[in-house]
Amino acid sequence: MSFEMLLGAWVATGLTLFIFTFLYQDNPLFKLAEHLYVGVSVGYTIVKTYDTVLIRLIYEPMVTQGDWSLLIPLGIGTLMLARYIPKGAWLSRIAFAFIVGVGSGLAIPRIVSSFILKQVEDTVRPLVSIVQGAPTFTYNLMDPTSNLNTIVLLIGVVSVLFYFFFSIEHTGPVRVAARTGILFLMVAFGAAFGYTVMARMSLLIGRLSDLKEYAVPQYGRASLWLGLATVVTLFLWSRRREEPPPDQQ
Amino acid sequence: MSFAERMLHIDRRLIFLLIGVCTLLPLLYPVGLAIKVSPEVHGVYDYIEALPEGSIFLLSMDYDPASKPELYPQAVALLRHAFRKNLRVIGMTLWLPGTGLAEQVMTKVAGEMGKVSGKDYVFLGWSPGSGSLIINMGQDLYKAFPTDYYSQPTRELAVLKGIQTLRDVNYVVSLAAGTSGIETWYLYGKDKYKFELGGGCTGVIAPGLYPLLRSGQINGLIGGMRGAAEYEVLIGQKERAVAGMDAQSATHFAIILLVILCNVFYLLIRTSPKQGEAR
Repeated sequence: MSFEMLLGAWVATGLTLFIFTFLYQDNPLFKLAEHLYVGVSVGYTIVKTYDTVLIRLIYEPMVTQGDWSLLIPLGIGTLMLARYIPKGAWLSRIAFAFIVGVGSGLAIPRIVSSFILKQVEDTVRPLVSIVQGAPTFTYNLMDPTSNLNTIVLLIGVVSVLFYFFFSIEHTGPVRVAARTGILFLMVAFGAAFGYTVMARMSLLIGRLSDLKEYAVPQYGRASLWLGLATVVTLFLWSRRREEPPPDQQ
Repeated sequence: MSFAERMLHIDRRLIFLLIGVCTLLPLLYPVGLAIKVSPEVHGVYDYIEALPEGSIFLLSMDYDPASKPELYPQAVALLRHAFRKNLRVIGMTLWLPGTGLAEQVMTKVAGEMGKVSGKDYVFLGWSPGSGSLIINMGQDLYKAFPTDYYSQPTRELAVLKGIQTLRDVNYVVSLAAGTSGIETWYLYGKDKYKFELGGGCTGVIAPGLYPLLRSGQINGLIGGMRGAAEYEVLIGQKERAVAGMDAQSATHFAIILLVILCNVFYLLIRTSPKQGEAR
């Protein structure tokens, strides 16, 4: 095994264990790992952005291929930096106006088309299917396209919309509809929470799988040694905190 | 203090320990619980399975290392399937922090399947813009990515022969940990350039993507580690995701049990005579 792989395994194991120590309580090992994470993430982002944007997408096409038209977006982008010069800060508005204008122009029609009209279209499906000229009704709750599910979906959408309709008082039939809407919302929140639990547990499983992998002799039993070192460090740190300061002794 | 009150004030580190043990034990001693493949995962698998040899498959790995346990196994399984079908694979990412991870998974899987960069697959890397990048790719792929991740001019790559824009791509799958991801690919890509789109995502964002699945805006969805395990079962290569499913089941069981117990203890406190007197 290469030295880089071994070093990577030890660093990954150590940082994972340091982060996990927060479950015991906040401590210097956790702080170290947290600060390293922030520093490495920012450093990586800066280097990749510089390499991809400034070198590959701007410098190389201009200098090696003579594509000087890139000076226009480069100029507009550079205006953003005018924010740092108080007298010329107004120039940055040109760049912001360009971004907001183009961004809104591109996004608004597509969002309306993709996420509103398409979803409305899917909500108002026929409640009864016509199969070989005869009306049929399918009851399979496990099939998302069944007629029964179409009715459930329609009731859900309408009742939730009623719940968020605040222009009239929720009394009588409106109250019934709004209450039904709450039930649908609760089911949706429950499903979202269930998926979130699954996702968080997956992250834990991922880290523990790596720790298990790095506990083998090929990796120098990194998980075991670093686990032991982490526990000892935490123990010593806790003992030191419990001791009263010298002036109180 | 009653037993129920003591239990509700239990040191939460004991619960962390319980969850840790429930996760670790099945990883050390796997049980091998059955995994049933859902129709939404089948949707992605069936579409790739039906693609003829040499078709263009674009995998956008739109995640960062924080979502690796869920989306890395999905990427491995999808790439293995695509390479086994001899599809021409284009890899890329809309997430800057995930560039290294995406490159690693492409190189690893391509290496084990004997595929060559530039001939069988290409990794384009990251480029800024997300939505505008997709539009740019829809107009001219070579303008959006003049070179690949390894600085090779994309126009000279054999794997991209005959491809000019996103319209020439047969299937796009976005493995998303949030925005930018599946919705961005639909909004700026599929809706305009009419390629078929599938998705893979973390468990957290999966419920929000089901409406797109039902309306046919995406043809399949691989949700979280569970989805990855289902895909591993489908391609017959059970690995990390399948290995994690026993632990997933054990932790879910523990959490359900804890939720029920907490509710029972709350009920006991509310119905205890002491509480009644206080009222």
